[in-house]
Amino acid sequence: MREIRKNVPYALFLAPAIIIYTIITFIPVVWTFFYSFTNFNGLSEYEFVGLNNYIQAFTTKNVVQSFRNTLLYAVAVPVSVTVLAIPLAVILSGKMKSRNLQRAIFFFPSVISSLFIGYIWNFILSASKYGLVNSILTGLGMEKLLLLSDPDSAMLLLILVTVWCNLGWHASIYIANIQTISPEFYEAAEVDGASAFDKFRYITFPMLAPAMTTSVMLLLTGSLKAFDMPFALTSGGPGYATTMITQTIITEGIGANRVGFASAMAFIFLFTIAVVSTIQTKFMTKREDNLR
Amino acid sequence: MKRRKTLLHVQEAVMLLICAVFFIPIYYLIVSTFKTQNEIVKAPLALPAHFTLMNYAKAFQAISFFRSFGNSLFVTAISVTLIVVISAMAAYTLARKREARVVKFLDWYLFLGFLIPLQTTMIPLFSIMKGLKLTNSLLGLIFLHCNGCVFGSFLYKGFIKALPEDLEEAARIDGAGTTRIFWKIVFPLLKPITTTLVIFNVMWTWNDFLYTYLFISSSDKSTLIMQVYNGVGQYYNDWSVMMPVLVIALLPMVIFYLILQNQIIGGLTMGSMKN
Repeated sequence: MREIRKNVPYALFLAPAIIIYTIITFIPVVWTFFYSFTNFNGLSEYEFVGLNNYIQAFTTKNVVQSFRNTLLYAVAVPVSVTVLAIPLAVILSGKMKSRNLQRAIFFFPSVISSLFIGYIWNFILSASKYGLVNSILTGLGMEKLLLLSDPDSAMLLLILVTVWCNLGWHASIYIANIQTISPEFYEAAEVDGASAFDKFRYITFPMLAPAMTTSVMLLLTGSLKAFDMPFALTSGGPGYATTMITQTIITEGIGANRVGFASAMAFIFLFTIAVVSTIQTKFMTKREDNLR
Repeated sequence: MKRRKTLLHVQEAVMLLICAVFFIPIYYLIVSTFKTQNEIVKAPLALPAHFTLMNYAKAFQAISFFRSFGNSLFVTAISVTLIVVISAMAAYTLARKREARVVKFLDWYLFLGFLIPLQTTMIPLFSIMKGLKLTNSLLGLIFLHCNGCVFGSFLYKGFIKALPEDLEEAARIDGAGTTRIFWKIVFPLLKPITTTLVIFNVMWTWNDFLYTYLFISSSDKSTLIMQVYNGVGQYYNDWSVMMPVLVIALLPMVIFYLILQNQIIGGLTMGSMKN
């Protein structure tokens, strides 16, 4: 009895978090799973339809395309940000006088709402004559470009804007890691006559494995879940060229009230995230273990 | 040695140039707010020919600035405070009672939350919130933001695990209860993590769009970000209003960043390393 009394405060400490999480996340997920096997439309009664919603998700053209867009985006963003952020972190860890100012400038977009990032770049990349790029081109006597209105370039520009807004934050993660590398490694390498590239290749890069695990994980899950920015930049267009799966789930489930169908998509999406993050963590942690 | 120094100067010059290009979007946004629509198109990157604040007057009205700013401030302040309190308490149990079977299970149960995106929960969540009479309400929005306690408790847990238990035991021998020990001894020691968590959640809550978009419908309960979204629908083609709207709505976060810049960069970096 006394043992139980002693534990009451601990239980009360944990209770609010568990209750909130259960109401906001756990119950709804179970509910979504249940809906995904029904033809529920948000209003009337529903029937069980087995795997129909799942089959429909894999055979509906715009759904398949939005899955494909999300996957392409979730590969391209982590790769491009990582390829740029590591060299940037190395340069900003150097001896430049203005390195703190530079870091602050690169980091700046991370504090802005991603919705606003989308709007700001929309002013720049708009296909109309008002867009910054197009008004410069017309000023120089050149032809206007389609930019965001061209299905082929829209996705590329979306990725570019995402890189712009994530670069500084992720470079900062690498900078923090670089600061933990002991200078002795570099001194020893210098004695051996290693070039700057050698030092990067054999010391800095492998030692950045922990930061890389975190950074890639954040980028990967972040870009799989992306909604605000693509929505503000292109609203998913032109056509379905930049529609993300998150947007499709919202338009189908809440806009068109096809709850059952949207729930099935949501579950495929959840499954994808779970699998991708598990594989990524396993693979990356292995790289970290090799350090020891 | 001298050659090395020259090289460094060249590198610095190149980097500053890259920074300038990187910053063009922000510069373009700000400089355009002082121009007429016509001037924005004709001389997009030039400084304004006739400095005017007219656009700002229109913009302030377009987003009912004071009300929506107040709503954002209210929601952010209360949510972040609650998240800190709830997370720290939960983490204390998760860390100090981690041997107990129930706690082990609940720890795993909470961890699942990291994998679940809002899009998988929002449809039933809508019915639940309706049942609780929390749709279209700022309190409802605060409740939803409190889900941030999942991330918060994991951030705190790692830190508490690393704290030595001697102090707590000494206090217990002196007759202090668990609640007192936690608030008087443990919580003050968590300050570095609290700073990180506050920064993270201020940014997330303030910048949130999806929760507000889905759960707030009337404009008097709109947050600043949501008002910008509503404004876009209305002023889509009048950039001379839209641009100052964005600048005004950006300003609070920019001030937050300028004041706390070092803590923000440090905090976000540390927070993501622990995660």
